[in-house]
Amino acid sequence: MTPEATRRRAIGQILLLAAGFLVLVAISTASVLLVNKASEDSGRVVHTVEVENQINALLLDIRRAESAARGYLLTSGPEFLRDHEAAVATIPANVDKLAQLTSDNPRQVENIRKLRPTVELRLDQFAREMNFVRQAEPDSAVALVREAVAANSSNAIREIAATMRSEEDRLFALRTGNAHRSQQLSAWVTIAGSGLVIALAGISIFLVRRSASARDDAEALLRDNNLNLETTIDERTADLREANEEIQRFAYIVSHDLRSPLVNIMGFTSELEELRGDIFQRIASLARAQSSAPPAPDNATDSAEPVLEGADKQLSQDFTEALGFIKSSIAKMDRLITAILNLTREGRREFQPVQIDTRELIEAIVSTMAHQAAEAEATIHIEPLPDIVSDRLAMEQIFSNLIDNALKYLKPGVPGEIHVRGRTKLGFAIFEVSDNGRGIDPRDHQRIFDLFRRAGSQDKPGQGIGLAHVRALVRRLGGTMSVSSELNHGSTFTTTLPIRWAATNRNRES
Amino acid sequence: MSNPVTIIMIEDDEGHARLIERNIRRSGVNNEIVAFTNGTDAVKYLFGSDGTGLAHKGNALLILLDLNLPDMTGIDILRRVKENAYLKCAPVVVLTTTDDSQEIKRCYELGANVYITKPVNYESFANAIRQLGLFFSVIQVPAAAT
Repeated sequence: MTPEATRRRAIGQILLLAAGFLVLVAISTASVLLVNKASEDSGRVVHTVEVENQINALLLDIRRAESAARGYLLTSGPEFLRDHEAAVATIPANVDKLAQLTSDNPRQVENIRKLRPTVELRLDQFAREMNFVRQAEPDSAVALVREAVAANSSNAIREIAATMRSEEDRLFALRTGNAHRSQQLSAWVTIAGSGLVIALAGISIFLVRRSASARDDAEALLRDNNLNLETTIDERTADLREANEEIQRFAYIVSHDLRSPLVNIMGFTSELEELRGDIFQRIASLARAQSSAPPAPDNATDSAEPVLEGADKQLSQDFTEALGFIKSSIAKMDRLITAILNLTREGRREFQPVQIDTRELIEAIVSTMAHQAAEAEATIHIEPLPDIVSDRLAMEQIFSNLIDNALKYLKPGVPGEIHVRGRTKLGFAIFEVSDNGRGIDPRDHQRIFDLFRRAGSQDKPGQGIGLAHVRALVRRLGGTMSVSSELNHGSTFTTTLPIRWAATNRNRES
Repeated sequence: MSNPVTIIMIEDDEGHARLIERNIRRSGVNNEIVAFTNGTDAVKYLFGSDGTGLAHKGNALLILLDLNLPDMTGIDILRRVKENAYLKCAPVVVLTTTDDSQEIKRCYELGANVYITKPVNYESFANAIRQLGLFFSVIQVPAAAT
């Protein structure tokens, strides 16, 4: 899975969660608003019912007053008068209350405005009727009742009340509808919101499951890859180790098998040398016999070199020279084979990383070379050196070879100045061994690190092994080696080694 | 040597064999020397056709052994000799070109009596063999177990 896809998936999940929260918040807000509206709507419905009640109460009171007035007119019973007066007393209050209740509706205000004078007119008529009855003029009162019926004042009140009621009925229908709609809307919003939340949750679960399965797949793949990688590395390491061991074994066997014939060559050459002594002794005695010189006693000349003359002497010298070359060549070959053997033995040695006080190590090397240094009139300066973790014996071999070389290849007649310097850089310790010796031609800078190769005049003993050995050691210690030098201007050998070397697979032999 | 000790020389290089024999003789040792140039023949001689070594019951043997043989390693022969009831008392002198310390240690562990590295330098070689000859002339070799 690409990082881009991972990032997109993470953002998608965050967006989903955010959307879920938003939907929840919206549903809550909408619910609160809708519930408020619904309660408002029902309040209005209740209000409408109240208004209608009030209208009915007013009409009822007017009717009561009317019927009590009529009863009083017919019977002149004081209880009818009391009843009438009680009814009349509540009428203005009822009208006021109605006006107050309907003050929010302009139509009802208009109706109230019409209602008020008619009610007052009716009340006035009641008052006059009562007065006439009290003054015992029932005829005038009856006439007044007829007039009131003719004037239709009660009817006018009833009509206005009916108008008001129908208005309230209209409002009631309207408000009931509103309340119903609010409730329905609230229900729908809740249902839709819940559905949306459930859908979002479903998508989330799906995405989470998908990414979890993708993660499991990736983990399995990673594990497989790791296993494969480890196997590959193990195989390669084993191959390399095998190849290395093969080379070591090869060098070892070859050098051994080369030695065997060398023993024969050397042995029989020496036998020849002895034969040569015998042969020339006989030649000498034969020559003496021919020249009839007094024969020397046999025993006396046995061990001594026979006295030869002219051509015989030349022959003997040639013989000696040839044998000498053969023997010196054999000796050289033996040294080379021994060197190869030692190198392969070194290559097999296991390195042990230990903490090394570098300065102490170099000082110890220098003190063992004090005699050589004095002979060469050289001084060795040791500057501050970084301590490192490495193989002690390898370090000793590296620096004793470098310092030994520096002492060996000084310019004759010039006091030697040898400096050992050190510094650290990026986890590596860099050591320099520099001298003011005879230097190395830049053309030979690579050659000197090759086995059995040397540079400059071959006036010093050596096999051409030291630097090859040093470079092999430095490489095994995970470092590098270089030289900078000019003919007649000294040389500087730079060794870069890891400050903390740990034995790695490459160097671990089975 | 008091009783007739037979020197068994197992050496694949005939040149070496000749040089060794010559130098042993020069040191004044005149015992019989039986030379083998490969391991198979030497093993057949030492252990007989039945492989028990019974044939040498009562004989005094001294074995000069080279480790690098064409058909087997001298170490195998050394191990078999030292494991054999009749031959285990016979002194074994390992005379070889190998100077590997591991190899030397292994030979002594297996019961070799002397380990000598053949020096390339002939004088040292001749000297070593002559001293070995002197050694042969003074050591007592037991007869194989009866």
